[in-house]
Amino acid sequence: MAIAAVAAATSLPACIGDLDPAWQLDHDRIIAVRATPPGIVAGDRSTIDALLGAKGGKTSVAVPELAQVVSPASLSDTLSFDSGAWVVTAPSEDRLAAARAELKLAADAPVPLQVGVAYANQTLVATKTIALGVAEANPPLVNVMLDGKPAGASELVVGKLVNVPLSIDADDALYDVAWLTSCGTMHDFDLPTAHITVEADDPDAGELAVVLRDARAGVAWHVWPIHAE
Amino acid sequence: MNAQRTGGDTAMLFRCLTLFAVIVAGAGIAAAQEPPPEAPPPADQPGLPHDLPIATVTGRIIDAAGKPVAGATVGIEDATETVKTDRNGKFQISVPMGSTLVVEKPGFDPALANVSATKLDDVVMLAAGTNTETIEISGEAPAASPGAAVLDRTELQRIPGTGNDVVRALTAMPGVVNLQIPLGYSGVVIRGSSPQDSKVLVDDFEVPVLFHNIGFRALLPAEAVQSLDYIPGGFDVQYGRASSGIVALETRPGADQRTTQGEISLIDGGVLGQGTLGERTKYMIGFRRSTIDLVLPSLIPASADLSLTTVPSYYDGQLRIDHELSAKWRLYLSSLGTNDVFELYATKDEDAKTKRFYNNTRFIRLTLGAQYHEGPWSAKLAVSGLAQQFVFEAGTLQRVDVRLSTMTPRAEITRTAERWAGLSNVVWRIGAEASIGRSTVDIALPLEKREGEPMKAFDPKDTSTRFHGSFWVPDFAGWTALTANLDPQIRATVGLRSDVFARIGEVALEPRGELQIKLPAALTARLSAGAYRRPPEFQSENLTTNAGSEHSAQVIAGLQYEPREGMRVQTSAYATDRSHLLTHNLDGSLNNNGHGTTTGAELLATYRGGPWFTWLSYSYSHSTRVDAPGAERRLFDFDQPHSLNAAVSWKHGRWQLGGRFQLYSGLPITPPVGAVFDSDRNLYLPLYGKVNSERAPMHNQLDIRIDYSWKWGPTEMTVFADVQNVYMNESVVTYFYSYDYTQRQAFKSLPIIPSLGLRGVL
Repeated sequence: MAIAAVAAATSLPACIGDLDPAWQLDHDRIIAVRATPPGIVAGDRSTIDALLGAKGGKTSVAVPELAQVVSPASLSDTLSFDSGAWVVTAPSEDRLAAARAELKLAADAPVPLQVGVAYANQTLVATKTIALGVAEANPPLVNVMLDGKPAGASELVVGKLVNVPLSIDADDALYDVAWLTSCGTMHDFDLPTAHITVEADDPDAGELAVVLRDARAGVAWHVWPIHAE
Repeated sequence: MNAQRTGGDTAMLFRCLTLFAVIVAGAGIAAAQEPPPEAPPPADQPGLPHDLPIATVTGRIIDAAGKPVAGATVGIEDATETVKTDRNGKFQISVPMGSTLVVEKPGFDPALANVSATKLDDVVMLAAGTNTETIEISGEAPAASPGAAVLDRTELQRIPGTGNDVVRALTAMPGVVNLQIPLGYSGVVIRGSSPQDSKVLVDDFEVPVLFHNIGFRALLPAEAVQSLDYIPGGFDVQYGRASSGIVALETRPGADQRTTQGEISLIDGGVLGQGTLGERTKYMIGFRRSTIDLVLPSLIPASADLSLTTVPSYYDGQLRIDHELSAKWRLYLSSLGTNDVFELYATKDEDAKTKRFYNNTRFIRLTLGAQYHEGPWSAKLAVSGLAQQFVFEAGTLQRVDVRLSTMTPRAEITRTAERWAGLSNVVWRIGAEASIGRSTVDIALPLEKREGEPMKAFDPKDTSTRFHGSFWVPDFAGWTALTANLDPQIRATVGLRSDVFARIGEVALEPRGELQIKLPAALTARLSAGAYRRPPEFQSENLTTNAGSEHSAQVIAGLQYEPREGMRVQTSAYATDRSHLLTHNLDGSLNNNGHGTTTGAELLATYRGGPWFTWLSYSYSHSTRVDAPGAERRLFDFDQPHSLNAAVSWKHGRWQLGGRFQLYSGLPITPPVGAVFDSDRNLYLPLYGKVNSERAPMHNQLDIRIDYSWKWGPTEMTVFADVQNVYMNESVVTYFYSYDYTQRQAFKSLPIIPSLGLRGVL
């Protein structure tokens, strides 16, 4: 019985311990794709970039190596590469009306333009939606608190083996929050209130990021350096 | 709320909890073992003719349908002393060679048997009103179909590595797909099809689940089980609504003597009482509650982001009352109920409703039946009610709440005749059943995963399957079958079943038949063929009236060899053609465009004699399907080509020792080949390779079991150690994937599972 109890006690963390968790920044990945702004009316422009994570490196914000309209195909010409950036230009109201008819949308509904983007020699791919026919803005990061203090731009210094609280003012029923790090172990990383602990075997330095998404394809992020001592 | 984390980790979490529960289940399964019934003692011998040599002879009494006749009186003519048959219809008596045994029981005509050897052929008792007849059927009664097998309670408890559990004992059966850990399934998988294709019956009526949500424990303890009929295919017309196999459990009637027993373990504890109420009434009542909820919180690491607000727990209860109303009528009441519940937060923050998971599964079935027997006529009448509820809630958006109430009256009448229309030993049956169900369903879930569809990314905001309403599910069935000897060596059964699935407006005709040919040298050949239907009732299938039933046609050929009492070797080869399989259209609706085949062969060799109980089973199976016209043929999710079980148990005095070796193929896996990141939903959408194009490696393990029994005052005590996987072979069950599908981790079987148990019977 004792052996089984020990086996049981160790089985749970063993199940989830050997794969990179979703909060790990130290991983080659697309963390979030951003359209600025995420919703545009006829004639307006939106530019596309993304926050990338890199194994053994720092995060970066980069323009896609490649981008292409996935849907609807009739609006593929709204995406162009202009002055080093991928840009979506909302078409005329007539074309938007035609697109709504094609997609069986209501007359006043925004047209979702789904764009595929690729990075790292197309080994990392993602999709991003830009709302056409409606003006939208990316959400603000409100009242971000790190270790009980308002977040600034400076490095976060934390103690090892200390639970460091992190919070952002966001309703988790309306917003998708993700806290990520390459220094420490994140707990409740997908809740507005999370905490990070730098364990003994964690790296002493890295980055901490928060990504906020709303239900209208808006996204915002911020990245801080983090150091444990 | 972050979909990746919730999906990936939650799926993992449930798997880990299941794994964990299996460990704990293995750690503390209490012994529920009863000493095997001793054979009736030899009778005293006054009045025996002393000029003939005395011998101790054994035999068995069965009825015309091949079922054991318990409680029959066996004696020689003109002698005053007799013995009674045990519950398996067996007897042992010391009588002169050459004498004639007289077998009597109310409701049957007396039967005669000549004592010409120490092991007698089975004696068949015909219903009262027909002539006495001794039919030459060597050995045990025939199984329900080629490849079928029966285990009684003591045998269930003697197979090492099963921890006295019915579900685990089933894995020793040929044709049962051995799932090391049943991730997300609650039924038995037979001959490589799907869990929903086979039915589990308790006292002739279907139960919605076979085992509890946690611990891989059967919903009733082995102590409450009289026998287990395993029919992997070719089942009789009395069974329906299944396209693969049947597992029929019979609850235990009370004993003649009042006993009370209790057991406690790390997984659950229970009490069971049985006895008589007056001269004509027997009862059995049992109750069990999980104890895992007392243990589980202390085993969860403090670092785990998990809060078990309602620790996984279950209750189950069993009741059976049998009353001999008269020589012709017997009444019984059977009830079975279970309640499983858990609630957890995938965080320590219990205010985070988006990370809450809740499940409650409960049902109660109550059956009232009557059995009538007079002369050549007999009847089984019963009405059974089932009330069940399944609730699952994930986060704030996804939920399912299904409530189902079903009333099922059922009747079957049997007429026997010694001879009719040139046939002999004729048994004619006719039956009918009506199942009237009312479902109330409230669903907001993602599109369900169907057979062969790889696991989708878990999006907690996906509620693309929505339904809120109530509907009736009326199903009707009628059947008839005629069984008779065409000549002394050939016995045939022809039958027809008709199912009416009224909700979908479908009428099915399912002819079935079987031929048994007695060959020389204790061999019997059997050939069975039939048509079967499974109505659309799995998951969300009955939310629409556009889905039809799934069809199967089965052909089974078998050979049975019984060289001596207690020894049986049976082999069978089968082919199952499946059609009208339910699959998804691109828009998520259902169609019946799938078809498939399963072919295989099985071997089961058993020996029950003296202190020995041995068991050898092997099955080969190949199960493939095509999901749409022109689509590529692929393996079923539960295709398991090889499965071998070899078990031996030896009992001597107070000791019982046993071992079991298992070797079986891993299940197919569909590998992801990449993923696309949906940045708006923060979700990786996996891209999969060919369906079921990989397979987990083969697994083998050795289990051992030691029992020791003794008397402690008036209490019979038994302690046992049941150790699974003694040489600690870890093999891959399946794989877990990282949130972006770039990494995978093997989910391995458990290295060793020791179990200790203790039980007292007063």
